[in-house]
Amino acid sequence: MTKALAILLTLLAGLLSVPPLRALIEQSMVWHMLVQMPLLVLAGFCVAVAWPQALGDRLARFNHCGLTGFMLAQCITAYWMIPAMIDRAVVLPGADASKVVGLWLAGVVLRQSFLKAPLAVQLFFVGYGLPMLAWLGFYMASTDLRLCNAYSLESQLRAGRGLVLLAAALGLAWAYSVRAQVLPPARNTLKHP
Amino acid sequence: MRASPPAPQRGAGADPLSGLLASFGACLLVLCLGLVALFVATENGTAYTTETQRRSAVARAPVQVPDFRVFDARGQAQTLKQLLQQDERVWIVDFVYTRCNTLCLALGTVFQQLQQQILAQGLQDRVGLLSISFDPANDNPTTLNAYARRMRMQSDVWQLVSLQRPADRRQLLDSFGIMVVPAPLGEFEHNAALHLVTADGQLVQILDLTAGKQALNAAAALTAP
Repeated sequence: MTKALAILLTLLAGLLSVPPLRALIEQSMVWHMLVQMPLLVLAGFCVAVAWPQALGDRLARFNHCGLTGFMLAQCITAYWMIPAMIDRAVVLPGADASKVVGLWLAGVVLRQSFLKAPLAVQLFFVGYGLPMLAWLGFYMASTDLRLCNAYSLESQLRAGRGLVLLAAALGLAWAYSVRAQVLPPARNTLKHP
Repeated sequence: MRASPPAPQRGAGADPLSGLLASFGACLLVLCLGLVALFVATENGTAYTTETQRRSAVARAPVQVPDFRVFDARGQAQTLKQLLQQDERVWIVDFVYTRCNTLCLALGTVFQQLQQQILAQGLQDRVGLLSISFDPANDNPTTLNAYARRMRMQSDVWQLVSLQRPADRRQLLDSFGIMVVPAPLGEFEHNAALHLVTADGQLVQILDLTAGKQALNAAAALTAP
């Protein structure tokens, strides 16, 4: 079930880069930044959930406390938030392909890292990454400078507002997962006073 | 730094430490590669948008503008090269479409002000204004003429042309680095700017729409006697 979902999400996110669906991400920054890009990361994340052992223990050795994975995911996502690179992904098929692979991979390593990282490490990267996302959203929604030559200002405003919402939603999702990580031991102590 | 702590049980102690070092190394490697990628992508942190990168690329190395067959508001045909080379003037070039109601009107007023300043400063022998339509499918001598009258163009200072072959549109826009995106109500949005082109067809500088004065000074400096 998880495997089918992971494959489906990967196909869906990838197909958005292939005609005829490609027209969607070419015309709308919302489709590009708020649908395809998060979908790619989510697809990678789900693949790592469905095949937890796929990367093996040899690579896990280099990911103490999930640090390396978080760092990699941070670099990849920051790279594809640069307006000039978003333009490149729209115009150059090669750049678009590396975006698809890169963001999907970011999702895979994010899942691996979240599994291994203590809360403090999670907090550090979540507390760094999500405000970055929200800041970009605020900036895109509030500036009257067109950041991407490939998109209209109107499209950018909508994408900016969406990015703020996305950052908020991801923050809530993480807080929910923290609750799940923290609560079970608390329940145990109640059971065995 | 190869620390060898007094590990009580070697088998259990050595593995986490080597794992720690491996992770530290991998982390450092990822960070360095990531920073290099980000630096290259943003031209060392100076240019985050395609528009800034387009302008700095032209400032580093001028671009030869390809030749196209064009016609003007009187329907007269010539090539872009002939137009640019007709005298020693440096041209301030922009891109328009005559159906435009938004940005091109802003551009229109910028060019109107430039036209006034050129005449006021007596620069009409050294600086020319050229508007090129990127909408050859809809623009013809009649619409160009109406637009020219609406903008109060004086043909000795400000010229308006469109492409004779609509198929040339892509190459024209690409050579200047202009991206046109459809906007609501059948309009277009594009990265509008002021392009300085010399008489021999070299695109030498790109300035902001709001930098009309600097563009005029730069153009005048290029033709300084």
